[in-house]
Amino acid sequence: MNVQAPAKIMPDAQSVTAVTHWTDTLFSFRVSRPQSLRFRSGEFVMIGLLKEDGKPLLRAYSIASPSWDEELEFYSIKVQDGPLTSRLQKIEPGDQIILRPKPVGTLVLDALLPGKRLWMICTGTGIAPFASLLRDPETWESYDQVIVAHTCRTGDELAYGAQIVDALPQDPLIGELVGDKLRYYPTTTREASEIEGRISDHIRDGRVFDALGVQGWSAQEDRVMVCGNLALNKDIMALCEAHGLSEGANSDPKHFVVEKAFID
Amino acid sequence: MTYVVTDNCIACKYTDCVSVCPVDCFYEGENMLVIHPDECIDCGVCEPECPADAIRADTESGAEKWVEFNRKYSELWPVITEAKEPMDGADDMDGISGKLDTAFSENPAAAA
Repeated sequence: MNVQAPAKIMPDAQSVTAVTHWTDTLFSFRVSRPQSLRFRSGEFVMIGLLKEDGKPLLRAYSIASPSWDEELEFYSIKVQDGPLTSRLQKIEPGDQIILRPKPVGTLVLDALLPGKRLWMICTGTGIAPFASLLRDPETWESYDQVIVAHTCRTGDELAYGAQIVDALPQDPLIGELVGDKLRYYPTTTREASEIEGRISDHIRDGRVFDALGVQGWSAQEDRVMVCGNLALNKDIMALCEAHGLSEGANSDPKHFVVEKAFID
Repeated sequence: MTYVVTDNCIACKYTDCVSVCPVDCFYEGENMLVIHPDECIDCGVCEPECPADAIRADTESGAEKWVEFNRKYSELWPVITEAKEPMDGADDMDGISGKLDTAFSENPAAAA
């Protein structure tokens, strides 16, 4: 009689339903959503895979799909020798990943006071929480203008975000709400494009405000969400504070919020 | 890197941090919480949520002693995974200086 080794038990397993490879270093994927999982658009969860020793290897990932979506979407880098992403990049539909059902985060509409303009400022895969918020009707009901400022090294790294932004006006659920409220400001730092350079420089010298016909940030009208590398987060926080904006939290909504769990 | 709980949590224990921690790395003493430095993933969500402003990044000056303090007690106290009512008189104790010397209890939280 054959004695089989017991199958490894994977707690909080979810099934992969789709995988899209955007570049050599970027991919997105969708997984089944636990029925009991409720989250606010913009939050993150811990996801991962089992290690050789049977213990889970987890990292914080922003949920890129909106809170009404039947599945969950994630957007990730691929790091050749990254402990998790070296393996995660190989997942295919039908595979299982671990998803801890405790969504949290500060990039949520609740952590901001009511305002007129919402700025979503990000680098690289930092577009993910905004991919969620942009597809949530509440975002469009709450603001007169929504500005997506995404900085990447090259144009092809902007593709995932650009596709979501491009699809918004035709979206059957929110297209009408989006109307003319959406402004997209993509910039590249290592490749020629229509708008080049770091977004922080465009804010500092006012180029982005000129391009959008806005006076500049004010605590009365502008709300800022930041999700990017450490340098971007620091730069934008300093710029926010220089404009008289203060950092909000779930328990104390104010003018800007920053996702610190982001790692690029 | 890790975040740590510092002395202004003592005798307040608001526990707002507990409900936002994605990895449940808070541990509960009789009148203070600590973070397990090896379990914290540096997500930073808890820091602005603390009504007593007691949570700090370990990169801030003077944080080293708090990392060791948090490590020591996180290994002695039980994990706390759900927020609860603050301690009686928390608002009065918030901001009082020197609480580590005058009010801190090394005892673990009473079993629920």
